[in-house]
Amino acid sequence: MVDADDRRRPPGSRFIWPLLALPGTVWIAVLFVAPLYVVVAILFGGTDPILREPVPVWNPADWDFTQFTYVWDHIVGSNPFFRPALIRTVVYVGIASFVCLVIAYPVAYFTARFAGRWKGVLLAALIAPFWISYMMRMLAWVNLLQTDGLVNKTLSAGGLFDVHVDWLQGHAFTVVAGLVYGYVPYMILPLYAGLDRAPARMLEAARDLGASRWETFRRVTWPLSRSAVMVSLLVTALPMLGDYFTNDLLSGSPSTSMIGNLINNSVLTPGQTGQAGAFILMILIVSIIPMVLYVRSTRSGADVMS
Amino acid sequence: MLKGALAAGVAAPTLSAFLAACGTKTKAGATVKIPSPTNPVTWPLSKANQAIDSGLTPKPGSTLRIYNYADYVSPRFLKDFEAKYGVKIRLSTFNDADEALTKVASKDLKFDLYFPSYDSLGKLVGADLLRPLNHDYLTNYDNLWPSFHDPWYDRGARYTIPYTIYTTGIGWRTDMVDTDIPSLGNPYDVLWDTKYAGNMAILDDWHTAMSMVLLRNHVANINSTKQSDLDMIRTQLLDLRQTMRPKVTISMYTDMPAGQYGLCQMWSGDAINTPYYLPKNVDPSVMRYWFPQDGKGEIDNDLVVCLAQGENPVAAHVFLNEILDNDVAAKNFGFTGYQPPLNKFTPSKLVADGYLPKTLATAVVEPSDFKTGYPLLQLPPASDSAWHEVWQEFKAGG
Repeated sequence: MVDADDRRRPPGSRFIWPLLALPGTVWIAVLFVAPLYVVVAILFGGTDPILREPVPVWNPADWDFTQFTYVWDHIVGSNPFFRPALIRTVVYVGIASFVCLVIAYPVAYFTARFAGRWKGVLLAALIAPFWISYMMRMLAWVNLLQTDGLVNKTLSAGGLFDVHVDWLQGHAFTVVAGLVYGYVPYMILPLYAGLDRAPARMLEAARDLGASRWETFRRVTWPLSRSAVMVSLLVTALPMLGDYFTNDLLSGSPSTSMIGNLINNSVLTPGQTGQAGAFILMILIVSIIPMVLYVRSTRSGADVMS
Repeated sequence: MLKGALAAGVAAPTLSAFLAACGTKTKAGATVKIPSPTNPVTWPLSKANQAIDSGLTPKPGSTLRIYNYADYVSPRFLKDFEAKYGVKIRLSTFNDADEALTKVASKDLKFDLYFPSYDSLGKLVGADLLRPLNHDYLTNYDNLWPSFHDPWYDRGARYTIPYTIYTTGIGWRTDMVDTDIPSLGNPYDVLWDTKYAGNMAILDDWHTAMSMVLLRNHVANINSTKQSDLDMIRTQLLDLRQTMRPKVTISMYTDMPAGQYGLCQMWSGDAINTPYYLPKNVDPSVMRYWFPQDGKGEIDNDLVVCLAQGENPVAAHVFLNEILDNDVAAKNFGFTGYQPPLNKFTPSKLVADGYLPKTLATAVVEPSDFKTGYPLLQLPPASDSAWHEVWQEFKAGG
């Protein structure tokens, strides 16, 4: 029995959508599922007795949970020495994302609404940081922030004050500032894209109906930009979660270690490589939660639109 | 949903079978010899990796892949070598021995030469990663100090040539640290002096950093396998982290001249190199280095080995021989600050010859230092693991 919808479809159309999905599916299988399985096989695998290198175990029936248990015990057990780094990561990423938003939103708003003919120039300026590698930008800050660097020289006002702030000596402030500086361009662009698409006639309608500028922003602009804010928070917070070299370059102190540093240290230490897999799984699980929230929020937005 | 789970269930074994076909390495039951000055080792010659034939020349246009610490070989020498032999050099760098060993063990990077310390040697030979040397190519070998002709860590020098010698002590800047460190009853205590909190660094090398705690507590066996010693290391390292906020790095030779901190645990070669990186308006005499006057401190030498995974072993041998050349060694010493154990570089003359300022004379390594000093040795696997766990806890931050 063929229903009315099927009769209306042109012949062969049932293969078009799966075919279109094929490249994406292959991409995800090769570049996400397979690497993730390798990570899991190393996490639950063994260790070479001489070099203490990881020996992946591909068969789940043979998996050994020692490395995972070790990590878990040192997060929730009696000697939870991994826990502070996890808490620090959440706090640093939370603060840095918030500060990024506070900086990025007005910039994106201005560019989308008021830049006029300067919009192209401003956009180019916003993209400019991407032309320089993240590491180079951080290294530049190392020079600026060192004890006899330009920042301290400026603060000392040409020698009037004796300023010797040790910015690079394990300060949370420096690491968070580095994260903000490094990732703020990633937040501006999706915010700009979202704000630029907001229909101007709705804003005009709000003003025509007597809403003040603040009311217009609060009741129209902000709700319209909420999904763009969510996307930009995701785009910046997720890479920050795995970041390790901002801390390495701007602090180098264990007192500001983040989960990315734990992963990096474990990967490069013979006998501990599997533990990196446990941390990676944690980041993955933590990242999935906001992803699900985002998908749910966009779906409900689509429902409202329809 | 059920259909998806079923598909995933089918896919997992298929994927695992595919990945298993990519290869898994196990060497269960393998044992590792641990050399020490009192237990010299003659390594067996590899059956899988043969020494190269004599009389060959490097193939022009070929690539020589070198794996080394950053800034640990003169770029001018590399350029000269490329020009002289028509070989292209590709230099990759690592931060510490653990990272290096992890990448060398993968065998995928095809490195021809690697610069390890002798505490990695047992693992490298045990895992059959090395190619035995053909000494016919090493015509400069006699330039070495006699004590390095037949070293305890590799009798007959079957796999290694020595590259540099160095001690590990304390470096500081007199314009940033006002304590007279050599005059202290226990100079290591300065690294725990809260007056310098936020103004100091320790080496990002687990064994070197941890053994410094043992030396502070007058434990001569810096390769101790005793649990009580390890507990002491843990307590004092965590205390150091808590009270001193140390930077953990190997970039002291650039960081300290740049004024990032004034006090650090330091390798002597880095100390010798610091004046080169100082701003022009700073007097080089502010840089100082302390090593126990009685020689009872940490002393080591780094090596160069030829990796079996390399595809250019002839050029690798020629490179090794060049490293032992007096003029090349002078170039490398001038650039890295690390002293080569060659007869030409008489320790007593290094200051007079202008290789380093008088105020850093304490960084010169004397042959006698190897009789009194303590080398870092490879640890038995269980102890190695236990030491690494303490280091991991330290680096995770509190």
